[in-house]
Amino acid sequence: MVLNTLKRLTSGPKPVIIAGMLLLASLYLMSAATRNSALFGQLYSLLLVINILAAILLLALILRQLFRLIQQYRQQVAGSRLTTRLVIMFLVLALTPASVVYYFSLEFLHRNIDSWFDVRVEQALEDSLALGRTSLEDQLRTSLQKTRTLATELTDTPDGAIAIKLNELRQRGRAAELILLNVHGRVIASSSVDQTQIVPSLPNQALLQQIRQGLDYARLEPVDDQHLQLRIAVPIPLPSGEDRLLHAIYPIAERLSKLANSVQYSFSQYKELAFLQNPLKQSFSLTLSLVLMLSLLTAVWAAFSAAHRLMRPISDLAEGTRAVAAGDYDKRLPLPGRDELGFLVRSFNEMTRKISLSRDQAEYSQHQLEAQHAYLETVLGRLSSGVITIDTHGILHTANAAAGHILEFMPEQAIGKTLSELAEQYASLEPFSTAIEQSLLGESSEWRAEVSLSGASGRQILMCRASRLPGEDPVPGGQVIVFDDITALVQAQRDAAWGEVARRLAHEIKNPLTPIQLSAERLRHKYLDKMNSEDAKVLDSATHTIVQQVEAMKEMVNSFAEYARSPSMNNASLNMNALVREVVELYRNSVRQLQVNLELDDNLPMIEADDVYLRQLLHNLIKNSLEAGDKKETVSLTITTRTRTRHKEGNQFIELQLEDNGPGFPEDILEKIFDPYVTTKTKGTGLGMSIVKKIIEEHGGELWVQNTPGAQVTIQLPLKETPRGKEDATPGGHKVSLKSKTA
Amino acid sequence: MGFITPALSKPNGYKTIRLWHFVGAVLFALLNSPAYGEESFSVSNISTHLHDQVYLLDADIDFRFSDEALKALDSGVPLTISLEIQVQRNRTYWLDEDVAELEQRYQIFYHALSGQFLVQNQNSSATQIYPSLEATLFNLGHVRDLPLLDEKLIDPEEKYELELRVRLDIEALPAPLRPFAYVSEEWRLASDWYTWSLTH
Repeated sequence: MVLNTLKRLTSGPKPVIIAGMLLLASLYLMSAATRNSALFGQLYSLLLVINILAAILLLALILRQLFRLIQQYRQQVAGSRLTTRLVIMFLVLALTPASVVYYFSLEFLHRNIDSWFDVRVEQALEDSLALGRTSLEDQLRTSLQKTRTLATELTDTPDGAIAIKLNELRQRGRAAELILLNVHGRVIASSSVDQTQIVPSLPNQALLQQIRQGLDYARLEPVDDQHLQLRIAVPIPLPSGEDRLLHAIYPIAERLSKLANSVQYSFSQYKELAFLQNPLKQSFSLTLSLVLMLSLLTAVWAAFSAAHRLMRPISDLAEGTRAVAAGDYDKRLPLPGRDELGFLVRSFNEMTRKISLSRDQAEYSQHQLEAQHAYLETVLGRLSSGVITIDTHGILHTANAAAGHILEFMPEQAIGKTLSELAEQYASLEPFSTAIEQSLLGESSEWRAEVSLSGASGRQILMCRASRLPGEDPVPGGQVIVFDDITALVQAQRDAAWGEVARRLAHEIKNPLTPIQLSAERLRHKYLDKMNSEDAKVLDSATHTIVQQVEAMKEMVNSFAEYARSPSMNNASLNMNALVREVVELYRNSVRQLQVNLELDDNLPMIEADDVYLRQLLHNLIKNSLEAGDKKETVSLTITTRTRTRHKEGNQFIELQLEDNGPGFPEDILEKIFDPYVTTKTKGTGLGMSIVKKIIEEHGGELWVQNTPGAQVTIQLPLKETPRGKEDATPGGHKVSLKSKTA
Repeated sequence: MGFITPALSKPNGYKTIRLWHFVGAVLFALLNSPAYGEESFSVSNISTHLHDQVYLLDADIDFRFSDEALKALDSGVPLTISLEIQVQRNRTYWLDEDVAELEQRYQIFYHALSGQFLVQNQNSSATQIYPSLEATLFNLGHVRDLPLLDEKLIDPEEKYELELRVRLDIEALPAPLRPFAYVSEEWRLASDWYTWSLTH
């Protein structure tokens, strides 16, 4: 609190000016005191101490500033280097002329003081003094002689007449005072010019001592600054033995007194001054040094203050610039004034304010953009259609989650790659990439195409719609492609169409079949007996054929009807491995040229399925393999079961895979293998694979076929329950091989 | 006065060094309490006696002036001798109480014309003239019947202690001489404090 008040009082220009003026005054007084002026002479020591204390205080202030500056310089505080340079510059500017002036002043001072003293002046003064002394000594001698004469006259004077005699003698001798004393200083009689003076100016002990020794006493004495007198004492030997003395005082003529005193004063002053020559020089030097030191120290201190004052806005600016560089745009600097620096600081503040404003705007825009982007991403992410964008070079820029799901790649990894690179990585994407690349060559701004892919999960049909993106002229901006997996849709349409055909066939064909059969049987029954054996044979054969073919047709129509009918599922917990073993066991005993290898996963979980339908499915597939193979060759069939996890959704399912060593599916029918009435066999309805597919779809599973080069059918059935053990079973976890031996 | 006598000028370097020595010495003297050096004045045979209800002091002072001081006196510089006397009442459990303080000042001046020494008692302005320095110092040092204090100020039941010191008054010297006098052994002329008890 006190410190703060002190700080407030000592800061600012006013106290500095006052302190400076006080210092100047004290220096002036000291210089006056050195000249031995009576007024300030008494204050000299005090002034000296005050000035030395002021110098020490200034020195301490400067040292503190210096220490602070060095510290700042070491810490590389902004502006410290420039401050140091400014201070050094100020110092050099102040020191150089001051030192020169100091040197010459000192020199001049000493010479000036030396010049006061002159041998001739000294000699003249000494001579004057000697002259004065000689002149006075003459008077002294005369007066002594006179006093001796008076004393002899007193010898005979009886004691009673002494007073009158003394008065007479005084008048005769022109003495100012005559006193008769005994040798112990007791006054016997006295006579004085000044009648008012009752107590005579008595002789001192030294005088009495001299008289007691029998010697005369004659001395010149100063009365005051103006007057001199002669004090003379002579012994008066008395026959009685009690010696007396006559003490006389003679005034000296006023003019002579004054002149002699003047000489004495001048001589004394000169002598004193001569004695003080060196102390004077030193005193003046001291005063001068103090003046210089104080001025210099004040200058240095002022240099520090000025440098600080000058540097403050600059270091503020440096600090501010650093803050702005560090991203703090809210920094505002204090205004130093109305000068150019003030203008600079104002501009800086204005600049940071504008930067801050535009940063806020940019941040706001960025935020808006991000929000929009996030919104768009969400929309795209929620779309069931795949959306990708590519540039004119075929580089993938955007792909939403649905695109990754449909095309079975990770969008994050695929972005930035060209479509051809993706096609190399994911072989199944080749038709897709080819279609798009072709469209890139074209000029049309929009195109549509149906692309068929065969991937790990079977054949996929994609409906692609693309439109060109507006690019910066003249570079075309690539394309946005929206695609949907319409495999299921196409299949459903196809299935629905076939279902309708089957139902109609069953209805339209089955109706006339019974009358045909009945008619044929009636023909046979009515005319067989009546015909000759040759005709009867023909009839028998013909009707037999009709009935047989009608039966066959009925059977075919029933099959169609069955296909068209929606099966009623009877799901129960089922062990797929057990089912496979059971079905295979039937073939092992009945069919000799079939060799079945079982690679079954022992940890296969139970599934919810209809065992009747699945049994039919297995029969259909095994039969297919048997019928496809060459009759003479042994058919080798490998059945594998395993648990799989679809990596994206995390759903688990079991996979059943049948692979034979036959010629595989003909390439031309591979795409429509699951359509009804597609077959390569001479016999058969062509409904086997269709029914297989239907069963799998009813179970919510998937299936696909491919040539490896033998036919490979892969079926995936979803798991509705949590499987035993949570481990992600790898394909072929534990393989069991069963071989049916050919007979 | 317009020209320089070679005998009086000295090399500048010498002066500068002395000046800095002086500044250092002044600082030193200011920072340390001004302790006087070895005793240059001494006092002996101090006694007090009561006469006409006034205590009177007798003392013998031996003045041993330094050569520099004598030279100054001879050159017409007046020297002032200060005789300081303090009377204190002893108190058992407390600091002593100052009862009286007395300072007698004598200025010695050499009168060149008459070749005598003038001693002026600055308290009474009375001037004594002595033909020689010896006589001056003898008389100045031969203090007899110096009135100290009135009997009324003294309580006979109490114990009193007196202190006496003689010193050369530096502040009375010419101003240019003072700073050097403060730091020079030759000018710091003083006796120790002499203490004795007041006899009733």
